[in-house]
Amino acid sequence: MSLDASKPGGGPSAGPLPSRPAIPPGDRATYPSHEGPILRVRQLQASYAGNLALDLTALDLAAGEVVGVVGANGAGKSTLVNALLGWSRGAPRLAGQVELGGVRIDAWPTHQRVRAGLLLVPEGKLVFAQMNVEENLSRSQEPPTEPGRHLYSRDEVYDLFPRLKERRQHLGAQLSGGERQMLGIGRALMMGPKALLLDEPSIGLAPKLVDQVLQTLRTLASAGLAILLVEQNVRAAMEVVDRLVLIERGRMVLEGPAQTVGNDPRIAEAYLGATAGAHPTP
Amino acid sequence: MNLLQQVLNGLVMGHAYALVAIGWTLLLGVARLVNFGHGQMYMLGAFVTWWAVVKAGVPYALAVPIAMACGALLGAGMQRVMLRATFEQNLVSIMIMTLGFGYVIHGAAALVFGSTGQILDTALSRQEITLGELWITAQDLAIVVATIAVFLGLRWLLDGTRIGRLVRMVAEDPKLAQLSGVDVRRVYYGVFAFEGAAVAFAAGMVAPRTPILTSMGFDEVIMTFVVVVFGGIGSVKGSYVAGVALGLFTALFGALVSPAYTTAAAFLALIALLVLRPGGLSAGAAGGVH
Repeated sequence: MSLDASKPGGGPSAGPLPSRPAIPPGDRATYPSHEGPILRVRQLQASYAGNLALDLTALDLAAGEVVGVVGANGAGKSTLVNALLGWSRGAPRLAGQVELGGVRIDAWPTHQRVRAGLLLVPEGKLVFAQMNVEENLSRSQEPPTEPGRHLYSRDEVYDLFPRLKERRQHLGAQLSGGERQMLGIGRALMMGPKALLLDEPSIGLAPKLVDQVLQTLRTLASAGLAILLVEQNVRAAMEVVDRLVLIERGRMVLEGPAQTVGNDPRIAEAYLGATAGAHPTP
Repeated sequence: MNLLQQVLNGLVMGHAYALVAIGWTLLLGVARLVNFGHGQMYMLGAFVTWWAVVKAGVPYALAVPIAMACGALLGAGMQRVMLRATFEQNLVSIMIMTLGFGYVIHGAAALVFGSTGQILDTALSRQEITLGELWITAQDLAIVVATIAVFLGLRWLLDGTRIGRLVRMVAEDPKLAQLSGVDVRRVYYGVFAFEGAAVAFAAGMVAPRTPILTSMGFDEVIMTFVVVVFGGIGSVKGSYVAGVALGLFTALFGALVSPAYTTAAAFLALIALLVLRPGGLSAGAAGGVH
């Protein structure tokens, strides 16, 4: 997790950035309210054993915006969202600059980034199987209270996903794929995300559930949350995203409003054509 | 010697086994760590208690907490050294390192405390309780009471507190715990400090039953290993049951068959159990600490 810390700021255009604190803030820290993108990524690189898996020049994510990240298997989509948190089940070498709400966080350990409001709903295992729904929906730590940051309560999560309330005494291991996805999102919301990253939330879900989960994201975004959505199911993603980013071999090759990018042959042929009518079935 | 007295001895011994093993149970369940320095940490706990009582004139009730504090510091220090290997779950390195720590602790203790045997005499161990033909010391009774208290306390800590929930999160999936905002490193430090304090507490309680030597520790680490595996890795309740069962088995086998083959017989039983129930007594729950 050693990141390039020698360059302070790196020439920001929108006024001087607060200098990166040498140590992560404690629980009581507050952040300066910030104009501009919630999440600002520059020159982000991740490599496994010397092979560059991700080389991203720039990516911004604004409040209330849903950005979709699409690309083939192994293109580096998961590597991207994981690198933003300095998190991985493997161990890539990371370099680059990540700012959350104007504060550089790229040298912080994962749990500090989470407490600061960068939340990831990972692919694969995303709930604690040996804990029930209610325990899964308990905060590990009280995040700092800041203006404009909403910490969802357990009841608010239940309002969003009534199914979880019905299942609240069930263990994580007993939940269906869709319920796990809801629980993963619910857990993230309870930490009061400023930016929410989701890695393939539709994988293995029935089409109806996919729509439900994606629509929920849309609702959350309209309440001001910034969302970065990694999705294989480009057709479904197109319905909810504002912007679309195409990643190939770790590089961003296309970026723009969903409608415009959707008409680009690189997306239309490779993803929409190929996946037409090919929704995954449970 | 009648059978009932043997059962009583077995119960006391069994609680002692369980108490000595509790730190490792948590360590194994939460951080997947084996600590082959466990026996020497037990030895050190016994000698710090002895030193505090005999040399420094501290009352026994205060000497045990002092030993626990030393144990916790030592545990946290060991974890500091092994932190990277812990995160990478490099189990072979960890085994070698803990084994190495065991020898270092042994050497250092021999240097400081000498290699002659000592007796840790407490007011409780001189007090005898007789009930008809049966006989135990107040120290034995204290071991049983303390063990039950520690196990109930740990259960409550794991199930009923926020700290316990963090520990269970890390036990199940440290990576997912990080994404929930848990400082996994701190939990690892915590469980190793607990291991150190718990084994020192056990030593302070159990060591007065026998003479203490700086060369001891092997029996303790082996018996702990048996208890922890028997009980099911990471199972608090399982290791209590396994400890008491092992104590009864040892006492009865020793009395009825032969004390010379007790350890061999215990391992035979363990091997048989592992063949029949690979997860130990509390098999069923997958991984983690419970």
